[in-house]
Amino acid sequence: MATDATGMPTEIAPQRLKSLQMISMAATVGVVTLFVLYPVYYLLQASFDVGGADIRPPTAYGLDNYAALTNYQAIIVNTLVVTFAATIMALTFGFLTAWILTRTNVPFQRTLEQLMVVPYYVTPLLGALAWSFLGAPESGFINQLWRHFGGEAALIDITSPMGIAWVMALFEGSVAFVMIGAVMKSMDPSLEEASQVIGGSRVRTMMRVTLPLVAPGVLGAAIFVFAEMLGSFSAALVLGTPARFYVITTAIYQLVSQYPPRMPLAAAMGVSLFAVMFLMLYAYRRITAHRSYVTISGKAFRPRVMDVGWLRWVLFAVCASYVLLSVVIPVATLIYASVQKLAVAFPLASNFTLDNFRQALSLNAVRDAMTNSIVLGLVTATLGVIITGLLAWIIQRSRLPGRGLLEYVVMFPQAVPRLVFAFGMMWAWLVFPIPIYGTFWVLLIAYLTVFMPLGVRTISSVIMQLDRSLDECGQVCGASWAYRLQTITVPLLRPGLLAAWLLIFVASVRELGASILLMGPNSKVMTPAIVEAWFSSSSELTAAMALIQTAVIAITMTIFYLLTRRSAQQEV
Amino acid sequence: MSAGTTAPAIDVENLSIRYGSITAVGSVSFSASPGEQLTLLGPSGCGKTSTLRAVAGLERPTSGAIRIGGRTMFDSDKGINLPAEQRGLSMVFQSYAIWPHMTVFENAAYGLRVRNESGTALKEKVHHALDLVKMGPYADRNASQLSGGQQQRVALARACAFSPTVLLFDEPLSNLDAKLRSEMRIELRELQRRLRVTSLYVTHDLEEALAMSDQIVVMRAGDIEQRGTPGEIYNYPRTAFVADFVGSSNLVQGQRLTEVSDKARIVITTDSGNVLHGVSQGRTPHERPTLSLRAVHLALSPNRPDVPVNVWAVTIKRVVFLGDISQVHVDWGGRELVIRQTALTDYVAGQSVFLSIAPEHCILLEAD
Repeated sequence: MATDATGMPTEIAPQRLKSLQMISMAATVGVVTLFVLYPVYYLLQASFDVGGADIRPPTAYGLDNYAALTNYQAIIVNTLVVTFAATIMALTFGFLTAWILTRTNVPFQRTLEQLMVVPYYVTPLLGALAWSFLGAPESGFINQLWRHFGGEAALIDITSPMGIAWVMALFEGSVAFVMIGAVMKSMDPSLEEASQVIGGSRVRTMMRVTLPLVAPGVLGAAIFVFAEMLGSFSAALVLGTPARFYVITTAIYQLVSQYPPRMPLAAAMGVSLFAVMFLMLYAYRRITAHRSYVTISGKAFRPRVMDVGWLRWVLFAVCASYVLLSVVIPVATLIYASVQKLAVAFPLASNFTLDNFRQALSLNAVRDAMTNSIVLGLVTATLGVIITGLLAWIIQRSRLPGRGLLEYVVMFPQAVPRLVFAFGMMWAWLVFPIPIYGTFWVLLIAYLTVFMPLGVRTISSVIMQLDRSLDECGQVCGASWAYRLQTITVPLLRPGLLAAWLLIFVASVRELGASILLMGPNSKVMTPAIVEAWFSSSSELTAAMALIQTAVIAITMTIFYLLTRRSAQQEV
Repeated sequence: MSAGTTAPAIDVENLSIRYGSITAVGSVSFSASPGEQLTLLGPSGCGKTSTLRAVAGLERPTSGAIRIGGRTMFDSDKGINLPAEQRGLSMVFQSYAIWPHMTVFENAAYGLRVRNESGTALKEKVHHALDLVKMGPYADRNASQLSGGQQQRVALARACAFSPTVLLFDEPLSNLDAKLRSEMRIELRELQRRLRVTSLYVTHDLEEALAMSDQIVVMRAGDIEQRGTPGEIYNYPRTAFVADFVGSSNLVQGQRLTEVSDKARIVITTDSGNVLHGVSQGRTPHERPTLSLRAVHLALSPNRPDVPVNVWAVTIKRVVFLGDISQVHVDWGGRELVIRQTALTDYVAGQSVFLSIAPEHCILLEAD
């Protein structure tokens, strides 16, 4: 029977079907390669441009721009100081909290663990704004209190290099926590028990077994965090720029946005930064991919939990204060500041106002930026899930030649700070025959490109957990590629696709680095608008705007959660 | 084959699969007639699964040809390679590959839906298939709530529901516990007989292969080592590898005594001077031939048995109680022989006994 049904002119049909699959794959690969490599090409071209300014394409090439970087030693030193300090702080937060939450009997362990990822959603920009209210040398609430109680000058200065590093570390700490926590969780407790059973003391076990086992994971996290900090932008922009303290990313932004702009120099800076980050992320991949320490045994186990007695309340306080410093205090500060006419440490009834919110919601520019951001977020997330889903599938499952190379191309934007990438795009799309520069389209393309690694990584991790034979079985049953996609692949990938959608949406709505360079007068988006308001209008208004943005993201996430939960329940 | 006009249901010709410079499957050829159960047997990494996947269309062979029911599925010379979905086969996977987001019914109905069946005809066929594997009452169950054995049954129902002519099995019982496995073995064999479906079965489990096959193909490192009925494979292993892999066997090497050997009979003397009579199975011996002595064919007795040849006085070194059988290790002229017996005789280490074996159970092996 079955052979009758398939007894069609089968020698022709497979060619056609195969080609349908091939065309969709080839198209995806082509578009992605264009999106990623086209701007990088222009970035490189600009960095070697030593011809006259404003003449494109360049009339002469050379290394002068790179040589000129030696004049900016102060910026390099600044960058290194801030990055090192922030990395050490973030790793300390991450390691401490990861150890406490995975290896000790700290109370409310599960709740704390869930709270630990919240700082990631709060973003460094929000943190920088809030900590500026708290720790600015003159007007900072903490310093106002300090002087009120008889202190001299300023207790803390958040605009100092250490202050900037502090704010960056608070938010990157949650990334370090997730990475180190995963390593600690995946460690088989029998490895430690084996040491103790044959007579190793607790300290000896810790030094000779536990630490060497988690060391590669911690080193990996350190490199990853360091690379991220090198490319971070918003905290240094908000806190450092007013005092003329520049790190490399803010320097690039300055060179591009000043008049006259110094594009080739900015490009050379961007390329150098990108080269360093690329090497570091490559090292990170090597360390984590070739992990010779097999700590994951496939068996289900719970890491051994240490009974720390009364100390557990101290450890609880450590974790709670991290959440307090990175989430609760910043958000509370912004709320407190946003309802005052002039933000001061001591509340006064006459100082209370809701005008900032009224103004933020009534300003056309703000309303437009908000709408634009949400629309862009929805479109980016939806298109992004389709594209990254296809890419993840091609990379993980297809036998397409060169898919290993494709993975590198796709993951490439991760190694490039979004600001630098946007700079390449700005250059690239200016000369593109279709005039999209300064429109939504260029922002959409930028978002799709820079968030590609995020989507591909999220969906890939779900694909990797899927047994290959689930799809193969459908194939042997006689189902075509499209039919399998619809009945097997997409339903099984649903959780991954939904997670990717949400992550891309949130990332798009609060995007700063790429948007600040690429948005045009008619395509303003929210986060750059907040930064603009911070520099040019009142900080209380800015606080209100930042809170509105946060509320919009929170509401979307809630709606999304309710919708997906309901549809999941209906299916069962 | 007997009817002349009937093409073999599965015909694999000079198939080879290479990954880069590594040859996973050398050039192998075999065929199964309609309704036959053919088993590919071998240790992991021998290329049996790659061969099966190539037949299914999930793996692209490097060269050779695959024909199913006379239809060419793959032919490297003619450049034909049908994708798996157009080969009209069916397969049971090692991991079962039960789709967790569907009900038991929908899992089993998949192949029929692909073939555009619907309505009562579809319902009837699905329920028939589920009843065959005794999963009828579970039709509306969510597939994710099934136990391993139940998943196995659903996988089987799904593979049979659309009445395929050829069924492929990729170690389908390897994830079940021992008791369930021996039950399913018999059920599978019954089902296969009833449906008269040709099947290609892959396993590394000897008992499974012996119990379920009409024909066994033993594979080693990508090549075919021996083929034959289960009886032939077990009783007359061709090489030391087959003798060793297929059940527990003692391999004895020695010098051929040419004066007493003839075409059918072979006599060797071991390095320690023991003389062993065996049969040559039509194979030509070389200088120092090896004979295979199955552990179950060796017999122990307290008194000297009344046979002319192959009797030796030995000392028991060790007795291992294994439940159904006992395994006895004896010292036989400086080397150890393993005997497996069901008798409840109470042998102890150090005891002196007599060891014997019928010459027709000492099989001459071909050189590796």
